[in-house]
Amino acid sequence: MKKELKIKVNGQPYDLFVKPKTLLSEVLRNDLGLTGTKRGCNSSSCGACTVMLNGMSVKSCSILALQANGSEVVTVEGLAKGNKLSPLQNAFLDHGSYQCGFCTPGMLMSSTALLTENPKPTKEEMKEGIDGNICRCTGYNSIIRAITAVVKGEYKEAK
Amino acid sequence: MTSKFSVIGQRVHNIDGTEKVTGSAKYTFDVVLPNMLYGKVLRSPHPHAKILKIDTSKAKKLIGVKAVVTGKDTLGRKQGIWRRFPELCDEEILCREKVRYIGDPVAAVAAIDEDIAEEALDLIEVEYEPLPAVFDPLEAIKEDAPQVHDGVELNININRHIEWGDVDEAFKKCDHIREDQFKCSSQAHVCMETHDAVASFGHNGKLTVWTSTQSSYYIQRLYADMLDMRESDIRVMNRHTGGGFGSKFELDSAQFCSAILSQKLCQPVKIVLSREEEFTATKRRTPMYYFLKLGATKDGTLLAKEARVITEGGAYTAMGATALYLTGFFSSFPYKYPNYRYDGYRVYTNTEPSSAMRGFGAPQSTFVGESQLDMMAEDLGIDPIEIRRKNGMTPNYEVPGQAFIQSCGLHQCLDSIDEHINKRGKLPPNHGIGVASYGFMSGGIFNWFNTPYAFSAAVIRINIDGKADVYTGACDIGQGSNTTLAMIAAEELGIKLEDVRVFSGDTGICPPDLGAWGSRQTLMSGNAVKRAAAECKSQIMEFAAAKMGVNIVYDLDIKDGWIHIVNRPERGVSYYDIVKGAIRGKDGVAIMGRGHYTPHRKGMISPAYSFGVQAAEVAVDVETGRYKLVNVTTAHESGTVINPVGIEGQLEGAIMMAGGYGFCEDQPMDDGKILNPSIADYKLIRSLDMPETDILEIDTYEPEGPFGAKEAGEGLTNPTAGAIGNAIYKAVGVRIYDLPITPEKVFKALREKEKKAKSK
Amino acid sequence: MSYQCPVCNKVSSSALDLSRHMIGRGDKAHRDWINSKGFKYSELLTLQFKSFGGEGYKALSEVLEKETKTKG
Repeated sequence: MKKELKIKVNGQPYDLFVKPKTLLSEVLRNDLGLTGTKRGCNSSSCGACTVMLNGMSVKSCSILALQANGSEVVTVEGLAKGNKLSPLQNAFLDHGSYQCGFCTPGMLMSSTALLTENPKPTKEEMKEGIDGNICRCTGYNSIIRAITAVVKGEYKEAK
Repeated sequence: MTSKFSVIGQRVHNIDGTEKVTGSAKYTFDVVLPNMLYGKVLRSPHPHAKILKIDTSKAKKLIGVKAVVTGKDTLGRKQGIWRRFPELCDEEILCREKVRYIGDPVAAVAAIDEDIAEEALDLIEVEYEPLPAVFDPLEAIKEDAPQVHDGVELNININRHIEWGDVDEAFKKCDHIREDQFKCSSQAHVCMETHDAVASFGHNGKLTVWTSTQSSYYIQRLYADMLDMRESDIRVMNRHTGGGFGSKFELDSAQFCSAILSQKLCQPVKIVLSREEEFTATKRRTPMYYFLKLGATKDGTLLAKEARVITEGGAYTAMGATALYLTGFFSSFPYKYPNYRYDGYRVYTNTEPSSAMRGFGAPQSTFVGESQLDMMAEDLGIDPIEIRRKNGMTPNYEVPGQAFIQSCGLHQCLDSIDEHINKRGKLPPNHGIGVASYGFMSGGIFNWFNTPYAFSAAVIRINIDGKADVYTGACDIGQGSNTTLAMIAAEELGIKLEDVRVFSGDTGICPPDLGAWGSRQTLMSGNAVKRAAAECKSQIMEFAAAKMGVNIVYDLDIKDGWIHIVNRPERGVSYYDIVKGAIRGKDGVAIMGRGHYTPHRKGMISPAYSFGVQAAEVAVDVETGRYKLVNVTTAHESGTVINPVGIEGQLEGAIMMAGGYGFCEDQPMDDGKILNPSIADYKLIRSLDMPETDILEIDTYEPEGPFGAKEAGEGLTNPTAGAIGNAIYKAVGVRIYDLPITPEKVFKALREKEKKAKSK
Repeated sequence: MSYQCPVCNKVSSSALDLSRHMIGRGDKAHRDWINSKGFKYSELLTLQFKSFGGEGYKALSEVLEKETKTKG
């Protein structure tokens, strides 16, 4: 029996009907076609499906879509403003903070959530901020360098 | 000094970077086709059993299920990547009579969604007759052990041997001989994108496949073998690929089962392995028992080494045969042993097959070899750096009968690391710095796959606007090869990086290339691309010379889109204008260049080798055995650096993976069942555990490589476990002989050491 | 001096090399030839991997020295 799900994703309100057992990640990918959100484990341990839910980072495979009813979700597709990348996206590009790119959307969402919550994190706090995200390619340090550059103000928010 | 290059060596964004940071990059995982079905694979719960009967009738009746297939729906062929040796092609993928490990596929289902497919698996009834199973290679190699494959004596799948000099005589001349035993553990690749494929048979009998792979060409050819098709009727495309690390260049269950299902239905079928299947039913790093004997004279000159290795092969050959050979070859690295003998045995067991993983046998040989070398140095009272200097390889060295090494910067690397250690000065208590040296190949010369094609090939087309389209069978799996190849093409043509597009890993439009393994693409695919670009350039130069009417004794070149006289750069014409004119002058035919590369007369192993030395600093808590990786500093050389951002990424990423191999990653088993098949339970290095990583870049130039470049991918995975082991010993005086070096092992060794000290 | 494999004709420069080739190849044809000389293939292998020194190869190479040497 499908149930109604009202949800705002990347600023766009949606009114959907979903099975109660459907995960938030599945709605984003399958119903809304937002395939930037990845699935690495489906057991909330790898972080590839991380999105922002009401401003906090959440692994979208760890909650049912219906639990997000009435919430605001931001996915990786919502980071850029039109054709302008966000400061973190630009910093990731400059610092080579991605390789295969499969964890990158989740990494960006965790980092964005971290800076939303704490605009001046210490290095240790940055590491904690992405500790829930596995990256098998980069070794994390280039990601920390990118976040550091944004914190230092080297990248300006697009207007 | 300004670089003589315009594009090479620049800090650039990967050419697919914006797609990756915006989530718009499309992986096989994201492919959705009209009329597409979802597949799932049923796997054996037994490590070793006869299949008596498979009843699929109930599953077929489930609403939403479109097809159920078993081994009976296949041609019954066995496949393997060592195609030259039929007896090593031993894997059916969909088993018909017997299963050999927990995870061996027995049936597959296609349904309208993943949930229904999953439900259908539960309705398939398989009757098994369990057989006695064997898990440890030291047991499997015994006369009365259960046979994993019929007719294979002692379960020995392959044995490999390397020998030069007179080892027995040399040991007689040694002042000191050490014999040590080690055990190297397994490791999972943990690609973030699990194995997946979308296979689509048309009613015309042709097969199109989107898949996450390191070698589209291998997969195409292996499909052709298994389905009895002509290879050109099969198009395999790797789009963005979420990591490979050695796990994705053999035909896998997602690829094969989706094709068998699609063949029946003429509908696209998508199979994505679950994370648990990824851990238990793909391939993994080869676990090894290592027996080492090393002899030296008093002054630290290494006279002879003998290595015996017994590897846990698991159920099938896979790429394990290559790992067995390479671990033997790299056991002699990077030192000049005048006398050397290696005997390796790969033993079948009823466990998940072991195969290629980044470093390919060399992380194992480097851990054991570098551990033993430190012990030898201590026995002789010689500094660890000094013993490495004394015996380290040098440029233009021939490994007797095996390999010829041209460029080699090992000694400069040793000097840099020595300086780094001295700079660190006196360390805090229970800190230690351990070193390990390594070398690695730039692609293999071996052709067990039996390809009739050049190892690498590329085609470049110059369009009317001057942009170059590169077509290459090389596969970008995240390591950035498309960017590296684009940089090579741009440099050779004298144009901007933005002027190059790359089409890669698509067997429908790209010339064959063996793909991304063995650290081969920068050198081999790079040479092919460079030659294709050179061919285009020479065509363009004919038109330019005609247009400019210069004296034929002048040399022309292109730099930053400006075709000019080398000695008088101000005299020139625009590349873009010349291309426009040239294409018109050729009756509208685009400028095309072809290039290929197959190593000839370069020894038996590889055309080039890279070297490095790594220093790992640890801080040990002597109460608990816990330790922290404080810093890992690597001095390495990889010839001319094409893409510096890419190399940093390879290096730091390798430390995450190789540090994990030394520090925490393992796949414990109970009767063949992997006990930690999830990311929550399989401990790998996360950001908080990641040490500082410093890079000391050493300049070298490799004559065989494109613009002097060589390997920078896998070699970096070799030293870390050994460096950590040596660092632990320096810090607290205990030596761990089996990987991973867990706090528990350090704790036990510390208590053992205290006990011994007390009893004295 | 060279040594020719009695099964597949591969030429080696020493009897020990040929011994490594034959045991290493290990398919049925090579095994059968080895066994026909009074060895047991599995015992040769066991001799090999149980200790340092390459004893299994040495044992077979003594026979090969006599039987497979060719001029050239």
